[in-house]
Amino acid sequence: MKNFFNKFGLLALAAGMLLSSCDPEIDAANPSSGSLDLTKYVAVGNSLTAGFQDNGLYLEGQISSYPALIAQQFSLAGGGEFVQPLFSEAQRNGSGYVRLTGFSSPTSPILTPVTDNLAVVGKGKDGKTNLLAPYLQPVNNLGVPGIKMADVTTAGYGYDNPLGFNPYYERLLPDSPTPTEALMPYVNYVGATNPTFFTMWLGNNDVLGYATSGGVASMTSASVFQSNLDAMMAALAKPNVEGAVINIPDVTAIPFFTTKSTAQLKQLAAASNAKLYIRLADNTVREAQTTDYVLLTSTVGTPESVPGIGTVPHGFSPLNPLANSEVLDVNEVEAVISRTAEFNAKLATAAQTKNLAYVDMNGYFNSIKGGFALNAVTYSPAFITGNLFSLDGVHLTPRGYAIVANRILREINSKYNASIPFVDETQYRAVLLP
Amino acid sequence: MKSKILALLGGTLLSASAMAGGYQVNLASQRQIGMGHTGTGIQTGTASIFFNPGALSSIRESGVTIGASAINSRIAYRAIEPTNSSAKADNDLGTPFQVYAAYKIDDLLTVGLGVYTPFGSGVRWGNEWNGRYSLNEIDLQAIFIQPTVSYKLGDKFGVGLGFVIATGSVNLQRVLPVENSERQEGTIELDGGAKTGFGINVGVFYQATDKLTIGLDYRSKVELEVQEGDVTFTNIPASASSNFPSGTEFSAQLPLPATLTLGLGYQVNDKLTLAADVSHVRWSAYESLRFDFSKQIRGSGFSESARNYDDAFIYRLGAEYMVNDKLAVRGGAYYDQSPVQDGYLTPETPDADSRGLSAGVGYSISDNFSLDASFLYINKKERTDQADLSGGVAGTFKSVAYIPGIGLNFKF
Repeated sequence: MKNFFNKFGLLALAAGMLLSSCDPEIDAANPSSGSLDLTKYVAVGNSLTAGFQDNGLYLEGQISSYPALIAQQFSLAGGGEFVQPLFSEAQRNGSGYVRLTGFSSPTSPILTPVTDNLAVVGKGKDGKTNLLAPYLQPVNNLGVPGIKMADVTTAGYGYDNPLGFNPYYERLLPDSPTPTEALMPYVNYVGATNPTFFTMWLGNNDVLGYATSGGVASMTSASVFQSNLDAMMAALAKPNVEGAVINIPDVTAIPFFTTKSTAQLKQLAAASNAKLYIRLADNTVREAQTTDYVLLTSTVGTPESVPGIGTVPHGFSPLNPLANSEVLDVNEVEAVISRTAEFNAKLATAAQTKNLAYVDMNGYFNSIKGGFALNAVTYSPAFITGNLFSLDGVHLTPRGYAIVANRILREINSKYNASIPFVDETQYRAVLLP
Repeated sequence: MKSKILALLGGTLLSASAMAGGYQVNLASQRQIGMGHTGTGIQTGTASIFFNPGALSSIRESGVTIGASAINSRIAYRAIEPTNSSAKADNDLGTPFQVYAAYKIDDLLTVGLGVYTPFGSGVRWGNEWNGRYSLNEIDLQAIFIQPTVSYKLGDKFGVGLGFVIATGSVNLQRVLPVENSERQEGTIELDGGAKTGFGINVGVFYQATDKLTIGLDYRSKVELEVQEGDVTFTNIPASASSNFPSGTEFSAQLPLPATLTLGLGYQVNDKLTLAADVSHVRWSAYESLRFDFSKQIRGSGFSESARNYDDAFIYRLGAEYMVNDKLAVRGGAYYDQSPVQDGYLTPETPDADSRGLSAGVGYSISDNFSLDASFLYINKKERTDQADLSGGVAGTFKSVAYIPGIGLNFKF
């Protein structure tokens, strides 16, 4: 009898092999979490973590945030539920954002604000900040657009008050002004989530606010950055909790600073027998040099009338220079790059101390300045045409977030001996063209 | 000259999947498919028009052969790990065919005409897989018409020359990485019929001993050239329409490479015939796939991606055993080297070294009417490639094909 079953089993095996060989199959390794416990993944960070894009936070961006994509891949290897503070379908346009509706010239996109189906529910007590629809259930994506490392220990950072507040944090907190509710500092909020695994991509705004204001706003000091980073690590990297720390890219690698190329603007000025001038922080005016960065939001080249000389393109006359806030001049660029490096050194040390994965996003974005090809599509940090960056020139497209998610997964896999599958980035869109 | 009729024929009969190395389709005779597609060093009847025109003069009777195969090919794809995307090519049934007619003018001189389909490719990946920006689907068809003369020099030696007149068509579709506000991705389709190309097929055949025969055959390269092919764009966002101008035409050239084959035949006894072939395919002629456009597409008048194929060898073995006067059984095998170098794998030809196993039967219904049936199984090695030199799609590909075929022979 045993013999019969053996023979029968062999026969069945042979038949099975014959049938399965009809269709070609390619074996793949099973997804594995390695040494990780992915029961509760929490993502900590700013706008990039929230899924901010096109100068706003809206449902589609939230759905394709890099933490949502990472959690989706984690779920293939035993990852738990991942809740995001999603806007409702009726309020899908969230904070509002911009849409590309045309080009006024081949190089000048027309960006039109989206103002319907917003999640704006009123004005804050400061009289200017839009309040957003609250989301009070526990969430796994703790990305708060605008937050700096400098803000994480600030009590009342998310409390609606006349001095101003962060509405994206406000919507996650209850209203009572107690230290465990509306006044709760972000670091405490993060600490209370008790994840088994976390990612932290924080610190961008500590330099970016300075850079996008052309050096007008201030940068976070190294000492504040360090003490708040220590507080975050203490809150997150508890015993048996693993995670990944992601560092800060250079501002010179993103289209907000590279699209209005100074070299090209200088050529344009030279072609009309003029030069490009900028005003510095000390109020002096000098000719622009190629190492200055004109901001994406600058109105450079717009015809303006200048008393005494008539109409000239903005910036093309020492009497009508680009304002300090339109340019990150060479000294400011150096300051922001060196501060970024300083912060990244601290992030690297923190990751090392806590034995966490460290994702060198700075190195990655610097390495792709010249572009790259993936699945027969070319990508670059170029505005609109580069497929990576959204219409604000700072945040990514869903496709860009998918590529970033894969960079993070790569480091997680290598650090924790895991085999989490990568995202198929082609399933996510780049910039939609009118 | 563009032959309308042949173009129509192609549309209904031809849709050959590339199931040999590169885009060669080695399915030229039902009897020979059964014998591992050997045939250069033996007398194959009218099919010697293809395999070796030098052997045609030694046929005993005039005859006509028609046959066709049905290619069921399946290709699996999986992205480079740890990306877990996968895809399957849902290929159309390919139906390469052959028609040979030979007429013995006298004992020494035989003339013939062959129509066959030695090249083609049909792969359909669809427009959702992660390689869609490289290829959705391709349909490449080539048809050769070959008038042939073969002459016997003495008892042992035959020479033959065929003049190849080739035509064909290409259709290639891919998705463009532009998306409109309705969330539709743009597509490009290139569609064109080929100009008539020319080549030769020349062979010598030698009866070395009573048992041993030797043949050498050279089929020259034929350039398949498309001019004024149609370029059709769909779902192009208005703001990008100047990058993808309607009314664009393309031209392209595809080399159908030369093949040199040395074949041996050995008549073990009255019943058993053995055959062995070695072919050298000059794939190095395929250096790049270049499309020249009549209008600028994304600021460029052409698109070109490197192919840099390597010359490749094919090794074949076959046998035929006459069970009785009427029934023949056949078997064969071959090993076909891929011409595609590492780094150059593409979804249009996800090629790898392939192994073929074949079986066949022949049956004589009457003195002048017989049937051949064949079955060929092709298994290509699983191949992983970064495709970073060809603008292709990185990943692992695995292909198999099941190819039944049937042919009819009429002698007079």
